[in-house]
Amino acid sequence: MVEEKIVCIGCPLGCRTTLRINEQHEVVEITGYKCKEGRQYVLEEYRNPVRILTSTILTEKSGRPLLPVRTNRPILKSKLKEAALTLARVKARPPVKVGQVILPNLLNTGADIIATDDLFD
Amino acid sequence: MKLSDIDVAVIGSGPAGMAAAIRAKEEGAEHVLILERQEQLGGLLHQCVHNGFGLFYFEQDLTGPEYGHRFAEKVKDLGIQVLLETMVTQISPDRQVTAVNNREGVLRLKPKSIVLAMGCRERSRGQLNVPGTRPAGIFTAGTAQRFVNVEGWIPGKKVVILGSGDIGMIMARRLTLEGVEVKAVVEILPYIGGLTRNEVQCLHDFHIPLLLEHTVTQIHGQTRLEAVTIAKVNKDKKPVNGTEQMTECDTLLLSVGLIPENELSRMAGVALDPLTGGPVVNQWRETTVSGIFAGGNVVHVHDLVDNVSWEAEIAGAWAAKFARKEEMEKEKKILKPGRNIRYIVPQSISAQHDVTLYARVKDMEENVTLKVGDIFSESLRVVKPGEMLKIDLSHSQLRQLKDDAVELSIEGAKRRQNG
Repeated sequence: MVEEKIVCIGCPLGCRTTLRINEQHEVVEITGYKCKEGRQYVLEEYRNPVRILTSTILTEKSGRPLLPVRTNRPILKSKLKEAALTLARVKARPPVKVGQVILPNLLNTGADIIATDDLFD
Repeated sequence: MKLSDIDVAVIGSGPAGMAAAIRAKEEGAEHVLILERQEQLGGLLHQCVHNGFGLFYFEQDLTGPEYGHRFAEKVKDLGIQVLLETMVTQISPDRQVTAVNNREGVLRLKPKSIVLAMGCRERSRGQLNVPGTRPAGIFTAGTAQRFVNVEGWIPGKKVVILGSGDIGMIMARRLTLEGVEVKAVVEILPYIGGLTRNEVQCLHDFHIPLLLEHTVTQIHGQTRLEAVTIAKVNKDKKPVNGTEQMTECDTLLLSVGLIPENELSRMAGVALDPLTGGPVVNQWRETTVSGIFAGGNVVHVHDLVDNVSWEAEIAGAWAAKFARKEEMEKEKKILKPGRNIRYIVPQSISAQHDVTLYARVKDMEENVTLKVGDIFSESLRVVKPGEMLKIDLSHSQLRQLKDDAVELSIEGAKRRQNG
């Protein structure tokens, strides 16, 4: 049996919950939450912790070194660092419109990297 | 461009300024002018590349640039005049505005009304009294954010962050993902300054140590920062002898609070509230100087951009009404901070219309009742200084107010229960 601690971010209370996990990676007990939504949140956060990745990439435009980007959907938390490393090798060539796909299917996550700002010529 | 017949002039084009200008135009003001000192619209939104913007305003999870882009497009579509790279240097009590840029030189205009939307700035080392040398490598979190997200520079390789404001925690994550080692986030209070969401997604996700009830007591290094001393503090926030530890680092980021930027407001003779650091405003966001309105972080520091834009829209709408000489309610009831309330915005209201109040508490408490005089009460599971309270009052509730002043307070706190 292992314990995992997860803080709920559903409301300003920020309940500090503890999950007890058995050998089959199943949640057998959750303590420390104060509402139904909170219980659901920590369960989901344990089973499938996903985040939107936001970052910047280099551009080929002088005077504007960086273009801000993000994933168009959340990716697994465990992939964030590898994804950030991947973006270090990507360059944006103007013109780029906000929302435009820069890199499809990042690390086979099914999420695309999209521009979050315009980059004009 | 004709500067002689401006109806509404807006100072600043961040999330407050753009929202105010758009709302003023929609309210019927013909000539709306935005004065912006940077080379583009958007203010600080450009460097806030993280998400979490617009969850309420657009009901979408946007990044700062995306949030700003939507407003900037609307500014363009509505034909709002914009003067970029233009610094306002003076506003007089009779609404004379002086500005400078390198195209027209000195500009003087006399708009019918003004919206102050200058936002806020960060507290810096000088306001902290941290002893030690003065080496390079000490930045505010926002300056580092601009270097990393806009200019393309990494401020250092080993970083300590003092203060757990939202920008500091967001920079902890951002720097980690850019390959920088973030050694610790150090917070003098027993709880974080920013949102829980950021503690989880910026610190826990990357196993960055959070040292509560600790502070930096010494800066080391001659030309470049070499280390900081971190010590535990007691209940009076004084360092405890014997708990000092040296931490090697080349960079110290400060995320220790924001201050509304009100030099122009002072010149205009606008009264400032010492509790918020911003102008005293009524529910239309009019300051104490007739025809000068204010909205967003220049009034008080918000934690969500959505509220910044909403508040500035009130200022924009009423600046437009003032410009066409529409009468405003003269009735005035003063809001007074009661038990465990640090401040309330607006500071006064008319009792004839629905109103939304914003307030901040002094201390964290659980299981409390929020009270507005005897006309409103609401049970709250928790109140925290870092999370602003928003209270909607209807005109029918407000009509029950008998006195000229009403107190807002937090009552009936129970002690924290175990488990």
